[in-house]
Amino acid sequence: MLISVFNAVLIVLVTWLAYRYFELRERTSPTEERYSQFVSGVASIVDRIEGYDAAHSLEVAQTAEKLALAAGLEGEQLQALKAAAMLHDVGETLLPREILRTAERLNDEQTYLMRTHPLLGELHLKSRMQTPDEVPAIIRWHHERWDGLGYPDNLKGEEIPKAARILAIADAISAMRHLRSYRPKQYKSQKDIDAEIERQAGLQFDPELAALWLKLSPAAGNN
Amino acid sequence: MLRLQSSWLLEAVGEIGGVDSIFFPCFHRFSALSWLSRKEITLYLNSPIDSQAMLARAWLSNRDGGFSEKNLQKFNQVIKKPLELEMNPFKIWKERLFTSQQLDYLFYWREAAYEIDDEKQREIFWATVYQILSYWLTNKDFAGRQILEPDQIMAFCIEQHRSFVKGRTGRIEISNIALDELAVDRNPLVAFPLLFDDEETQETELQTVFHAWFHGHADLEQARRDIKNCLRRYLISFEKTPDYSTFVRLAANADMAVLCWSGRDLPPKLYEQEIVEPMRSAFSSRYNRSRLFFKAVDRSIDAYDYLLVFHG
Repeated sequence: MLISVFNAVLIVLVTWLAYRYFELRERTSPTEERYSQFVSGVASIVDRIEGYDAAHSLEVAQTAEKLALAAGLEGEQLQALKAAAMLHDVGETLLPREILRTAERLNDEQTYLMRTHPLLGELHLKSRMQTPDEVPAIIRWHHERWDGLGYPDNLKGEEIPKAARILAIADAISAMRHLRSYRPKQYKSQKDIDAEIERQAGLQFDPELAALWLKLSPAAGNN
Repeated sequence: MLRLQSSWLLEAVGEIGGVDSIFFPCFHRFSALSWLSRKEITLYLNSPIDSQAMLARAWLSNRDGGFSEKNLQKFNQVIKKPLELEMNPFKIWKERLFTSQQLDYLFYWREAAYEIDDEKQREIFWATVYQILSYWLTNKDFAGRQILEPDQIMAFCIEQHRSFVKGRTGRIEISNIALDELAVDRNPLVAFPLLFDDEETQETELQTVFHAWFHGHADLEQARRDIKNCLRRYLISFEKTPDYSTFVRLAANADMAVLCWSGRDLPPKLYEQEIVEPMRSAFSSRYNRSRLFFKAVDRSIDAYDYLLVFHG
């Protein structure tokens, strides 16, 4: 069975929390802090389902915000990015748990399934929203690559909205900080991670944002 | 700029009827069709631009695997001594687009490919240069240093190509026929990614440079004219009186037709007025019904993606 009872319960819970978040956003004008608390609650459940050993979504959101502010994002754009960063892996809750929890390298079929998570995340959120919103779109495109060889839509360069390009870098930085089943290499320090970001500028990542990150990085001595 | 969202396209037409094949009389970028090319549907792709059709053959329809290790060893040589610039057909691109070292490699790679006997292998090698040009052109505008040497980036892109084509078994037919001469067979769905006449993006610049390189000259104006000529009567212009007869002819034998485009800096209402209504009028003799779908991408700059589906 693709979705276990446990997963189904979690999906309902995540959906309800996400729904509450967007409902609040539309109907009232609560403070940003209140949004963040809701989204953060959803994100922590997602992290737990995925079996991450640290608060991955929060880490991604913090890195994304730092980069976004430096890149000039503000207002609604910034808020949408923060929400998307928190919820970017929500689609993974719809995948079989054994794929998320495996310590082994994924086979072709599992990789294919794993690569559906941005689409599932987008569809899942969009189905609960009555007005157009960019958060699902940012989630859909957080695995796109600057060179057009990412997924799911193989968007290229500036076709990828800036918020999604920022999220892609933030997600990669967080992923490199922790062990992942799909990547045998472990990055030992922030300097190693930054070297990879620099190497992938113009390939995986927007070169302008990659250059910006290299100035902001803790390894650059700014923090 | 166009964000083709293939799964969205299938969802939209799936609400009306299932499809087992899709016909693209023209496509905007080969890699955007990757997702569809891995589905259990037959893709009929045509590009009136020869350089773009070649890229699609090399990246999408390649079932025989990637570039061989033997060929990589043989043709990805390091140029130790700079080549004579005067001999280089791309010399006028020096500094404006590429460094001397990059020009050396562009000359060498193009010529070296002719030594590859197998046409499919040769096209993979040329098609890899497209990715390298993209890497060089996008990085030249930023102060960041380029870490990878030309032979390293070639090896990297060849490896990317191998991953990209791995397990590819989809049924794909690719042609390079002028739109006026394209036969219109019976098909459940014809898809038109819309291209705009006045739009200059990083991708259109890259396609122009690659087209010139592929044809062995450095005249970008000529390349631009060639491409525009191939796309005449397909490009959408807000300046001219709309003539969508090419679209209507190409959709003549399709059960459904879908148009997709991405808007930017203009409100959705304007696209409805300038594209949707004229297209509805043009297609009215062929289809009874239509439905417009749109998605928000970034509301702060009025960026939405659109699908217009004709059926019935």
